Amino acid sequence: MTDVIASEWLKLRTLRSTFALLAAAAAVLVPAALVSALMVADWDASPPETRAVFASADPGVLVLPFAQFCLAALGALAITGEHATGMIRTSAVAVPDRRSLFLAKAAVTAATALAAGQFIALATFTAGALITGDRPAPIAAATTLPDALLQGLLLTTAALVGLGLGALVRATAGTFTALAALIFVLPALASFLPWDVSPYLLPNLTELAALPALAAMAAYTTAALAAGLLTTLRRDI
Amino acid sequence: MIEVNELTKRYGSTLAVDRLSFQVRPGRVTGFLGPNGSGKSTTLRAVVGLDAPTSGEALVNGRPYASSPHPMREVGALLDAGAVHGGRRASDHLRCLARSNGIGTSRVGAVLERTGLAGVAGRRIKGFSLGMRQRLGVAAALLGDPGILIFDEPVNGLDPDGVRWIRDLVRELAAEGRTVLMSSHLIAELALTADHVVVIGRGRLIADEPVSALAERFGSLEAAYLHLTGTEVEYR
Repeated sequence: MTDVIASEWLKLRTLRSTFALLAAAAAVLVPAALVSALMVADWDASPPETRAVFASADPGVLVLPFAQFCLAALGALAITGEHATGMIRTSAVAVPDRRSLFLAKAAVTAATALAAGQFIALATFTAGALITGDRPAPIAAATTLPDALLQGLLLTTAALVGLGLGALVRATAGTFTALAALIFVLPALASFLPWDVSPYLLPNLTELAALPALAAMAAYTTAALAAGLLTTLRRDI
Repeated sequence: MIEVNELTKRYGSTLAVDRLSFQVRPGRVTGFLGPNGSGKSTTLRAVVGLDAPTSGEALVNGRPYASSPHPMREVGALLDAGAVHGGRRASDHLRCLARSNGIGTSRVGAVLERTGLAGVAGRRIKGFSLGMRQRLGVAAALLGDPGILIFDEPVNGLDPDGVRWIRDLVRELAAEGRTVLMSSHLIAELALTADHVVVIGRGRLIADEPVSALAERFGSLEAAYLHLTGTEVEYR
C-alpha cells in the first residue's frame, strides 16, 4: 500500500494541473484582499449610521467558495484525468487491487488538500485581520482562529467530495458541472425551499457549530468516497 | 507461462470468449491471431485482470495476475499505447508506474535507453507520435524485468525501423527464456517473428501450432490464417 501511495503522490506532483489549481486557489486572495481594503477605506470615510449597516470586509467571502471549487477540481482530476486519457487502464494493470488504487488516491488528495486548505484558510484569516485592524464589527469579520481551521477542513472535504464524485461520474466535464452546482448553485436555490437546509449544504457547513460541522464534513466525505469506491470496484474500465 | 483454461467472457448477450484454452510457453515468441472482434483483446484483458472472466480462468505463473503483490515484476503488458496521461513527461510516467510496484528508479533509465526514448524522456507524452507511444508502452512493460511479456498489436504505427526493432526485441526477449505473447494483424510480420501461433475466431480456439507446421500445411502462414479463419469473419 505504501508503494501505491508513493506512486499516487508522484502522479499528483508530475501534472501541471495540480500546481495550476493550487496557485489559482491561493491567488484569489489578492483580489479578495483588495475588495476588503476598499471596503475598509469606505468604512473609514462613512458616518456612524452608515457604518452600522456595513457588511464585514472578510476576504473569505470571495476566497472560500472559489478555493473549494479549485480543490474539489484537484480531487476530481486525480481520477477523471485517468479516465479521460485511458491512463486508468495502465494504472489498473500496474495495481490490480482497485481498492488500494482508489484509497491511495484518497490519501494523497486528503494530505495535499489538508495542507493547502489550512494554508489558504489561515492566510485568508490573517489577511482579513490585518486589513480590518482594530476596527469593530460589522466591518471586522466575526471569524475566529478555530473558524479558520474549520474552513481549512472544509476545503479538504471539498477535495475528497471531488474525488468521490469524479470516481462516480468519471467524465471531467460532468464532474466539474456537478461540483459547480454543489458549491455555487445549490446554496442559491436552497433559499426557495420551505425548510432551512442552507447550513447543511457543503459550502455552508462552517456556519454550523464546530462539532456538528465536523460531523457533517465527515458525512459528506464518507458518502462521496463510498460512492466512488463502489463504482471503482463494480464498473468495468 | 500463461495458461488460459476454459475462459469464457460474456458482455450482455455477446459471447466474446467461448471456453478458450491454450498455454503460452517460455523461450519462444507466441503469436496471437484472429480477425477483428474474435476476442483477442478480451482474452489479454482477462490475463492481466482488467476483465473478470464469466467462467474459467487465466493464470500467469500458475495463479491469477491480480493475486501478485508486484505484478509488473512478473508480467509486462502493452495493451493500448494510448492509455497514458498526455500531460505527464515520459520519464515521470515510467517513474509513477515503477513506484507502484516497488521497482527502483534505475530501471526507468534502463528501459528508456532500451526503447530509444532516452532523448525524449523529459518531454510531455501528448507530443509523442503513435510510434513513440508504442515504444513508451514497451518501456513500461519492461520496467519490472518480467519473465512474461504481452504485447497487443505492438507494431501499429511504427515505421519500418520500428517494426524491425520490435521484431528483434521480442526475439531477444524470448531467447533470454521469457514467455512472449504478441498479437498482430500483420501476418507477414508474425511469420518473421513468431515461433508458435494461437489462432482464435469468434472467441474459440482454431489453431495452436508451430508456425513452421502451419506454413508447411498451407504453404504460408497467411494462407493458413485465411483458410482457418475464413468462416469466422462475421460481425455479431
